[in-house]
Amino acid sequence: MSEVQQPPMARPRRKRSQRLVLAAMGVASVTLSACGQAPNPQDERERVVGVDFEGEQAYRSVDECVAADVYTRSTCEDAYRLALEAAPRFTSLEACEARFGEGSCEAPPQPAATGQQGGGWFMPAMMGYMVGNMMSNTSRGRTLQQVYQEPVYRDRGNRGDWDAAVVGASSRTLSRQARMEQNISNQERAYRNRMTTSSPRATQRSGFGSRSAARGGWGS
Amino acid sequence: MLRLDVPERPHWKALAEELGFHFHTLEGEPYWVESAYYQFTLRQVEEEIEAPTEAIHEMCMELVDRVCDSEALLARLAIPEFMWETLVASWRGGQPSLYGRLDFSYDGRGPAKLLELNYDTPTSLYEAAFFQWVWLEQAMQLGLIPRQADQYNAIQERLLMAFAHLRERLPGGTLHFASVQDSVEDRATVRYLQDIALQAGFEVPFLHVEEIGLNRGDAFVGLDDEPIEAIFKLYPWEEMVHEDFGAHLPDKRTRWFEPPWKMILSNKGILPLLWEHFEGHPNLLPAFFEEAPGRALGPGWVRKPFFSREGSNIELVTAAGERHWVDGPYTDSPRILQALAPLPRFGARHTLVGSWVVGDRACGMGLREDVGAITKDSSCFLPHLIL
Repeated sequence: MSEVQQPPMARPRRKRSQRLVLAAMGVASVTLSACGQAPNPQDERERVVGVDFEGEQAYRSVDECVAADVYTRSTCEDAYRLALEAAPRFTSLEACEARFGEGSCEAPPQPAATGQQGGGWFMPAMMGYMVGNMMSNTSRGRTLQQVYQEPVYRDRGNRGDWDAAVVGASSRTLSRQARMEQNISNQERAYRNRMTTSSPRATQRSGFGSRSAARGGWGS
Repeated sequence: MLRLDVPERPHWKALAEELGFHFHTLEGEPYWVESAYYQFTLRQVEEEIEAPTEAIHEMCMELVDRVCDSEALLARLAIPEFMWETLVASWRGGQPSLYGRLDFSYDGRGPAKLLELNYDTPTSLYEAAFFQWVWLEQAMQLGLIPRQADQYNAIQERLLMAFAHLRERLPGGTLHFASVQDSVEDRATVRYLQDIALQAGFEVPFLHVEEIGLNRGDAFVGLDDEPIEAIFKLYPWEEMVHEDFGAHLPDKRTRWFEPPWKMILSNKGILPLLWEHFEGHPNLLPAFFEEAPGRALGPGWVRKPFFSREGSNIELVTAAGERHWVDGPYTDSPRILQALAPLPRFGARHTLVGSWVVGDRACGMGLREDVGAITKDSSCFLPHLIL
């Protein structure tokens, strides 16, 4: 592949690869079912082995999201609604301001209020939202699992500065990703425990590896 | 061949963590070191590392063939008799192998000398194939090293091709991966190989070596009690054959990577056989079975057990009579003697060149440094470049 990409005469004896990719390392490359539940052993072929977040962008409004031409209007609208719902809520302005700073809070804008039990609650002032792709690395390749979103709101640290608020939203998505990785590895552990304990008696294990304890790893 | 100091990339540790390279520091000691690099010329790499690697690999393949023809040689390599048929069938049936690493003593001048072969469970793979490559690209971008630098490193690319080739040949498309419990380094190496196999289209379930199951079926089974058709194990054959399930190996259809015939090459008894058959080859060192009569070694020599890893149980006596010894658990196998080719010293450090073979092609290298004369698991890994 790389031989084709490089000009044949310019550097005929290049000794290294042009491009390397890791599909799943850097996020937990372990078992996760597509719907986020513990995997069913019968579903071996449906396995997702890792997830990551990519291509996130921040928009100040649904219209700006649509204008960016990355997502359809309905995706932009859904993401906005979900981002709004994900923002922290408080039953009083004081409680909200205690957390996010004086002048940072407001009553929720209209769309989020629908479906809620009337008004009477407060959230940090919504400045926009962030949308990106949650990719899954499945055994069949890499696919878009879903769109994810994160509210961009005012807080004590950013005092309404857009760029700083975007950085805050960005770091929240990073910790979300870290939590997902943790969940994935917990599920993997539970899965393995279940498999081991539910195995029919007929299967024996620990027949290999018994000499490993004495000698540590096996690299050579 | 030069050892040159260079500034580290800022934040490289965070990058290493992010990329799954958690063993960049081992027990508080640095393992990945990028405060210096080794510089080679293209001629050194191509003529003195790459070409000899391919030549020795070919000799090894020839020897495997000879050993498979000779019960006397199988016995001499301490391979248990119940495995002979399985081993020979794996060779005759053309079961492919993935990779191997040849360790050389090389100082930039004159022929590299083969110290040993690691053809069953070679590690330092991830750091050689991937992290070293990332270092070169980033160090060039940061202006830490010249922009026209290159690196002898197509290891991952070759691995991807090897797995893709395997994918064509293995029905089912699932390749299990296994390493032992409680080894972070082994797990990371296997995770890296899983990643490449995944890119080649395999499903890549992981289980620990200890979790491999045995029942009445004609294959070893995974955690779900389903047959394992094919499995990559980062665990040595010479241990497996002596363990509880070892006796069942010939009866099961499970395909192993590396294949059973690698038992011939992961055994240091291959070194005297190489010398016996290709005596005088410039890249080989005189080597003999310890109990062989009439061996003619000069004043500097090394004694190694057939089965030993990471420098354990190796005894080295220099020409001046100075003795070095690394303790270890491998006291239960026959030993060989090999002429000493002292590792070159760069300052206080002894440097070892690890040259990789993937799918029968030499394709890259990694350098290890140790303060002692014998390279151990605590040795540091340093990047290299070609200029």
